[in-house]
Amino acid sequence: MPETLVEARSLSKAFQSRDGKPLLVLDQVSCSIVPGDRIAVEGPSGSGKSTLLALLGGLLSPTHGDISWPALGSRRDLQPLQIAFVFQTPSLFPPLTVLQNVTLPLLLAGQPARSKERAECLLALFGLANLTRKLPEELSGGQAHRVAMVRALMVRPRLLIADEPTGQLDTLTATSLLDRIFDQLAGTEAALLVATHDAKVARRMRTRWTMDHGRLSPGPGREQTG
Amino acid sequence: MIALWLFGILKRRTARVIGLAAGVTLTAALLSTLGLFLTESGASMTRRAVSDVPIDWQVEAVPSADHQAIAEAIRKAAPISRMHTVEYAQTDGFEAQTEDTTQQTGPGKAIAFDADYGRDFPQELRWLAGKRSGVLVAQQTAANLHVGPGDRVLIKRVGLPPVAVIADGVVDLPDSDALFQGVGLPPLAAPQAPPDNVVILPLADWHRIFDQQQTVRPDTTRAQFHIRLVRERLPTDPTAAYSLVQGQSRNLEARVAGQALVSNNLGSRLDAVRSYALYALILFLFLGLPGVVLAVILTVSLAAAGLGLRSQEQALLRVQGASQSRALLLWLSEPFAIGIIATVLGLVLSFFFSHVSTSPVLAPANMLPAVAMAVIGGTIVVAAIAMSAWHASRSTTVVAAQRKVGRRGVPLWHRLWLDLIFLLIAGLLFWQSASTGYEIVLAPEGVPAASVDYNAFLSPLLFWVGFGLLTMRLCRYFISDGNPMLNLTLRPVSGKLASAVAASMAFQEPRLTKGIITMALAISFLTSTSIFNRTYEGQARIDAELTNGADVTVFGTSAHPAGDKLATLEKLPDVAAARTMQHRFAYVGNDLQDLYGIDPKSLGAATGLPNAYFQGGSANDILSALAATPDGVLVSEETASDFQLQQGNTINLRLVSASDNQYHAIPFKFIGVVREFPTAPRDSFLVANSDYVARMTMSATSEYVLMRASADPAGLAERARKVLGSASGLEVKAIGDASRIIGSSLLAVNVGRLTTIELSFGAVMAIAAAGLMLGLGFIDRRRNFAILTLIGATPRQLASFLWCEGLLILIGGVVFGLVSGVLTAWMLVKLLTGVFDPPPETVSVPWAYLLSVHILIVLSVAAAVLVANARSRRGAYEALRDL
Repeated sequence: MPETLVEARSLSKAFQSRDGKPLLVLDQVSCSIVPGDRIAVEGPSGSGKSTLLALLGGLLSPTHGDISWPALGSRRDLQPLQIAFVFQTPSLFPPLTVLQNVTLPLLLAGQPARSKERAECLLALFGLANLTRKLPEELSGGQAHRVAMVRALMVRPRLLIADEPTGQLDTLTATSLLDRIFDQLAGTEAALLVATHDAKVARRMRTRWTMDHGRLSPGPGREQTG
Repeated sequence: MIALWLFGILKRRTARVIGLAAGVTLTAALLSTLGLFLTESGASMTRRAVSDVPIDWQVEAVPSADHQAIAEAIRKAAPISRMHTVEYAQTDGFEAQTEDTTQQTGPGKAIAFDADYGRDFPQELRWLAGKRSGVLVAQQTAANLHVGPGDRVLIKRVGLPPVAVIADGVVDLPDSDALFQGVGLPPLAAPQAPPDNVVILPLADWHRIFDQQQTVRPDTTRAQFHIRLVRERLPTDPTAAYSLVQGQSRNLEARVAGQALVSNNLGSRLDAVRSYALYALILFLFLGLPGVVLAVILTVSLAAAGLGLRSQEQALLRVQGASQSRALLLWLSEPFAIGIIATVLGLVLSFFFSHVSTSPVLAPANMLPAVAMAVIGGTIVVAAIAMSAWHASRSTTVVAAQRKVGRRGVPLWHRLWLDLIFLLIAGLLFWQSASTGYEIVLAPEGVPAASVDYNAFLSPLLFWVGFGLLTMRLCRYFISDGNPMLNLTLRPVSGKLASAVAASMAFQEPRLTKGIITMALAISFLTSTSIFNRTYEGQARIDAELTNGADVTVFGTSAHPAGDKLATLEKLPDVAAARTMQHRFAYVGNDLQDLYGIDPKSLGAATGLPNAYFQGGSANDILSALAATPDGVLVSEETASDFQLQQGNTINLRLVSASDNQYHAIPFKFIGVVREFPTAPRDSFLVANSDYVARMTMSATSEYVLMRASADPAGLAERARKVLGSASGLEVKAIGDASRIIGSSLLAVNVGRLTTIELSFGAVMAIAAAGLMLGLGFIDRRRNFAILTLIGATPRQLASFLWCEGLLILIGGVVFGLVSGVLTAWMLVKLLTGVFDPPPETVSVPWAYLLSVHILIVLSVAAAVLVANARSRRGAYEALRDL
């Protein structure tokens, strides 16, 4: 049995609202991710999808419950090489060009060698070859999103988490983007976890989880553990 | 709606509000404090000037004038607090016999004061020996005649037989210049020297002796009214006080036309002080205004640090349907609301600061300028912020406003090379000022008006601006994308991330340049101000030393030489060194000058003798030459020029010999020019070897003793007074007494207090420019740092971004600031040479103050970086999602 990438037990997450009262966003969620998973997290806006992804990606700490990354190490070991995250909101580093942005995680990891060639290749693959010298503020929302995706793929992560990766794309571009993601991940043991409210995207995943008012219902293909 | 908006801003952007409020408060407080300074300086100058003038008006009656009518006219012209009559009579001289010698003087004066004159005008007479009333002989006359109390003096009347009197006492006439001035002379007339020989008689004796002369030769006698005005009614401002007194004096002249002539001593003094008031304004402009400009720049920069977020907020308002004007109104409500509250706070702060720093609480009317300046300061800052907001709203679309600031074009000043042009013009103007001897305040002798050479302001102003622009140019060049020098500079801190950090900084170049410039301006300002202040304090001390002679000086006369008490004085505690000095009088041609006999090898132990005192060599060289030339003499520049003296020329000086109490010509050899000397009261004086003077005059007495104190001079002076006793005829003065005497002039401007204000605010501004701007900039870019954290930057890597930025601003600001500050200080010292007396040889640097402020600046930067680092890592995901 492949070693579990992420193991979450009874996760709850509450945020402090403006009036000081705790706002429960995630309630007793348990799940796990193994290498090769293709998981879509569905649910209406405000159901807690992004929060779940952030917890599983190690970007947030739970208020209650446990989370571990048996195959990846401790929380400190996750970024930038083990888990790559594509955020819903713009997340490119404004002072750097597109090329510099996509190579930044490898630079942070101390692995800049040959990163430029791979970056140019990936950017071309995603139709961004002529934008390498542009600054993030000079890109459209969709272009910025694709650059963020390239940045995530650059590090060859073991778990790629994408929050609404096709949210700003038209149908054709969205389909093409997913195809390229799947191509890049094919032949690797990388897992893909995607939050989406696009049914077409969800249908392409092997596993579908549903979030509703902070609770998780795993769909067919994977039982909720714990 | 506006209230809701403001409440939201206060709750969500607390740091920004505090930063802006602090800036406006600082600006308003600084301007208000400077306003109080200017007002209080003027009042202080008027107070001190007035206290310096013993006799406000001297009204001289023409022969056969109606004295009662004149007195009545005087009372009607102005409120009078004191009025006395003084009789003057010319004499052909005085004569006295002592043992077997007869001493005679040249022409002199016999005067008489009416009853209680000494009580009402105590500064006119200083008792030295004998009785305090009766026939009093002036000190110099007593020396010339070799008489003391109890001796017979013959008064040679003009055209009449002489009359003998018995001297009761010996006095000094400290205000003889005014007492014997020519009353009613035209403004450009040369001042008259007071007579060398004076005897003061009781009024009845004067009339008994001179009424007959008055009849026979009315041109040789005259009567004066000496008046003191009601000074409490004078305005505090010197110019207003001068106008009032001058108007009253003219009114009196009109009333007594044909009957009397008027000399307006108080008006003349206030007229001179007007030029000092102008100097106060100049010092305010030179030292104060840059601080104000800096405060405004800092506050606007603080406001601009949050411009990115503000622009986005405004864009969101417009997306939600707000019109451009409505969005602008909401946006402007923040600075206006903060401006009003912060201005009031700044005003309160300045009053508190002024009160704590021993400034007297002023009358409400005098506080009005301070309030006005606080309001102006607050308005300027708020207007500057509002202008930038208005400009931003005009130049952006909704979408563009949501974008961050990116690459910019080259500004016009950059393309026109205005920085170098300004520096060039500054240099030319400075050179021009140098060619006129750095005369900023032009107050020609005898001309009532004083004017200011405002062009002189331009050179440091243009230098400041030009150097600032040059700094910006260099920053733009250095902090540019792909600059290998930038990469190299950042590598020690950021390691392999140098290229990413350099790219990040190049993107932030406008912000970084602004941070460097603001910090450089702040450091330049406080460096130049503190150096000027330290140099000024040093020169003020030298000035006091020149006046007093040393830390403590015992002043005696030939009759009561202080030198006899040297052994006693040397035994006092805290005496580091004590030396004697002769004080004689010598005729150079027909000109009577002070002559100081010294031991050139050892006098320096008791008092400072800097190189600036001498011309044509260092103090050591000149005094060594004097020591090597027993009959050598140092003369003033004026004397050397008048007598066309060349090195080695023999010059005959007439000194009184103790053998016969007569003046005899004694040959001296001219060896150099002396500009200043301890205790020398006038510009023309002589310095010679005491041994030679003693041998040639047969008198080894030393009139003065100069003492250097190893502790508090005031304490040593007090002990000296006690051990000498009040009946010794000796006067003991400490250096602090001299400072108060000098203080009627420019020191009344109280540069020290101005610079205390400036240095306090300057330090706060420098620390704020460093830490606060950096911190607010980090807050504004919190999202960017959150992104770095979320894509895997370790705390150390994140810190390298922050530290590189902080260190660049710190090092750039300090280097450019120090260079600019030192050069500006040097220019200020040169341009304001007229403030100093004597001019300084070099600038003095307050190392302790500068070091402590720079340490605080470093700590401020470090704190900003550490806080930003901690905040960026905490809640990075939440920060990313916060629009």
